[in-house]
Amino acid sequence: MLTVGTLIGAAFLLLMASPHYPEGTVRALLATDLVTDATRDALQARLDAPVYEPQYLDGATYELLRAVAARLFPQPDRPENPIELAPAVDKRLLEGGSDGWRYDALPPDREAYRMGLGGIRDSAETMFGQKFLSLSDEQKDQVLAAVQQGTAPGDVWQEMSGVRFFEELLAELTENYYAHPLAQEEIGYVGMADVPGWHHLQLNELDPREPEEQVKL
Amino acid sequence: MPEEEVAEEGVLNPLQPEIQDPLLKEIIEENDLQADPSRDPLEQPAPLPDPDEVVDCVVIGTGAGGAPLLARLAMAGLKVVALEAGPWHDPRKDFATDEKAQAFLFWNDERLSAGEDPIAFGRNNSGIGVGGSTLHYTAYTPRAQDDDFRLQRDFGVGKDWPIGYEDLEAYYDELEQFLGISGPKNYPWGPTRKHSYPLAPLPLNGAAQLMQRGCEQLGIKTSPAANAALSARYYQEGIGWREACTNRGFCQAGCNIGAKASMDVTFLPLAANYGADIRPNSYVTEIERDASGAVTGVVYEQNGITLRQKCRNLFLCAGAIETPRLLLLNELALNSGQVGRNFTAHTGVQVWGTFPEDVRPYKGIPGALISEDTHRPKDADFAGGYLLQSIGVMPVTFASQAARARKLWGQAGRDYMRNYNHIAGINILGDCLPHDSNYLELAEEKDARGVAKPRIHFTAQENEKRMTAHAENIMRQIWEAAGATDIWAFPRYAHTIGTARMGHSGDDAVVDADGRAFDVPNLYICDNSVFPSALSVNPALTIMALSLRTADKFLEKAR
Repeated sequence: MLTVGTLIGAAFLLLMASPHYPEGTVRALLATDLVTDATRDALQARLDAPVYEPQYLDGATYELLRAVAARLFPQPDRPENPIELAPAVDKRLLEGGSDGWRYDALPPDREAYRMGLGGIRDSAETMFGQKFLSLSDEQKDQVLAAVQQGTAPGDVWQEMSGVRFFEELLAELTENYYAHPLAQEEIGYVGMADVPGWHHLQLNELDPREPEEQVKL
Repeated sequence: MPEEEVAEEGVLNPLQPEIQDPLLKEIIEENDLQADPSRDPLEQPAPLPDPDEVVDCVVIGTGAGGAPLLARLAMAGLKVVALEAGPWHDPRKDFATDEKAQAFLFWNDERLSAGEDPIAFGRNNSGIGVGGSTLHYTAYTPRAQDDDFRLQRDFGVGKDWPIGYEDLEAYYDELEQFLGISGPKNYPWGPTRKHSYPLAPLPLNGAAQLMQRGCEQLGIKTSPAANAALSARYYQEGIGWREACTNRGFCQAGCNIGAKASMDVTFLPLAANYGADIRPNSYVTEIERDASGAVTGVVYEQNGITLRQKCRNLFLCAGAIETPRLLLLNELALNSGQVGRNFTAHTGVQVWGTFPEDVRPYKGIPGALISEDTHRPKDADFAGGYLLQSIGVMPVTFASQAARARKLWGQAGRDYMRNYNHIAGINILGDCLPHDSNYLELAEEKDARGVAKPRIHFTAQENEKRMTAHAENIMRQIWEAAGATDIWAFPRYAHTIGTARMGHSGDDAVVDADGRAFDVPNLYICDNSVFPSALSVNPALTIMALSLRTADKFLEKAR
């Protein structure tokens, strides 16, 4: 039965399929005293990150990681300055950093990245007879989907679970992406501006510094 | 001679009368410290410990297991030393409202997660630093119910505790008052209480309002939850006034205003006030014994230097992974064969949905609403039960979980995350039975410190699977009734439990009902590793209650 409620619901889905927010919200807040010094330091460093030269991965492997990241987080809206997701991975591998656990089924992280990126390179060659970097976006996505589903060809994937490797890779790149102030602007997150606390907790109520959604049709 | 001193001669009343108002006292002290920082006790160089001094008690770990008993023992006049693997933070200065920057709060030495349902460690359940995991706990502090301790009696499975609710009740009462727990006037579930919570509940955030709406339609009773975060200023002995929660929603990445009752702003300053010596950055490597097998001291690394602290008694409070790991590495208290075994975790499946309403899930105490109507569900096809909890969520944690469970990437991933401000979650916290296939062992692989990594095997068994399915079904119904679309479940197990359990006999337990090791007369264990069963509630409050009880039982014997 068609009711006003379902119509409103349908309209919501249509409009809200992907809410958008104004640009510049987090950057503007970082310049205010609504953000603590420790918080500003963390976020501003990501905004101001200089061009990064890989220190752990060799040049070709690092470029492959960047190309994979560009498919997992395509940024056609930032053609000149995409959020770089590979530097934090390279730095972590260099320092031997850990998030406290790993799947026992996977080798240590350095080895897993070496094998996994090598596996993606080999699977691209097998599936399309070309280097991953030379493939079309659709072809790259087919290679990555095959790794994620555990169906990618290649010896590496006999030794190491592509499903688990892909999950770890995707989770790490996702965390790098949404830790970035521009990604936080994209989803309307301003939780970092918490010095005065939050006073409007009711549904649909906003504190004055929270950005309103823009309807984009 | 300065004039002020001359003026004092012959004056009956001192020129500076004793300030009575604690707030004024605190302000004056703060001003004095700012004028002369060298007087700040935190700025003083720590005296070098005397290597030959034998202290009454060494406590390893400063979380929910170690901190309360440390304070209790110090207040009884004992000479006590706490060894904490991590640093001492100044949350006001050091804590950022940024998930990545706060990663230093988690125990990030790598653990190996094996089995069919490998457990995530690090930020999921393991902390480091003065205050331990309470630095990042959600502050959700329901009491266990009386039948939680009696699964075997009621269902014929699992293991009963050698103590019960009646042994912990007075400690629950004491803790709720001491920590300043915010909660409802009349809590609807569990045994009748002697006291209400000392503070009113924290405000319901978006997720809590939605869960309340959905539950109302389904006839499920809800209540504002008990949270160890202050809904109003609260005076804390040894600290002064703690400020009220400002709804930052960042409990799991550290509270920077002291509103959350982590150990560093409650029991540890109290302990320090009574002379406890808390040593940060002190990682214990060895536990030394004499010919009779009694503990004589511990060896630890502090800032690259190897040190020894002799003691008459040792309290091991390092959590359900590091505690059994230390026992196994030192081949200590292993006669029962139970060290590292009986590893359990709480069933913790989360259900997420997208709502038309603006939710802004980063605001407010994350777990604002509770239901324990599912404590012993009538239609259950499993033993035990669970509680339901609304959940707010920080963006990086949420995105990471969505990536793992929904496997979204590319444009689809970015599009989904644009809904973040419309997302709300519910999760459960349920019992979990010990099983032979779930245990901790030492791996061949070494960590960065050169110590064998722990490998933890965990595979959910039939009971956990049935409970999770039951809960997921109810939570999906609640979210549908509340108006959610795009509902999905994130399978998850929370907390680490059971690897050095307490019991009546050294044949099948590591410690007795008072927390004392059956094999080693002067070794006590107090943390979630001594839990014989997981309980259907979050563990922090019960760990603290056990900690106070362990101290009292020890002091009774010492008298």
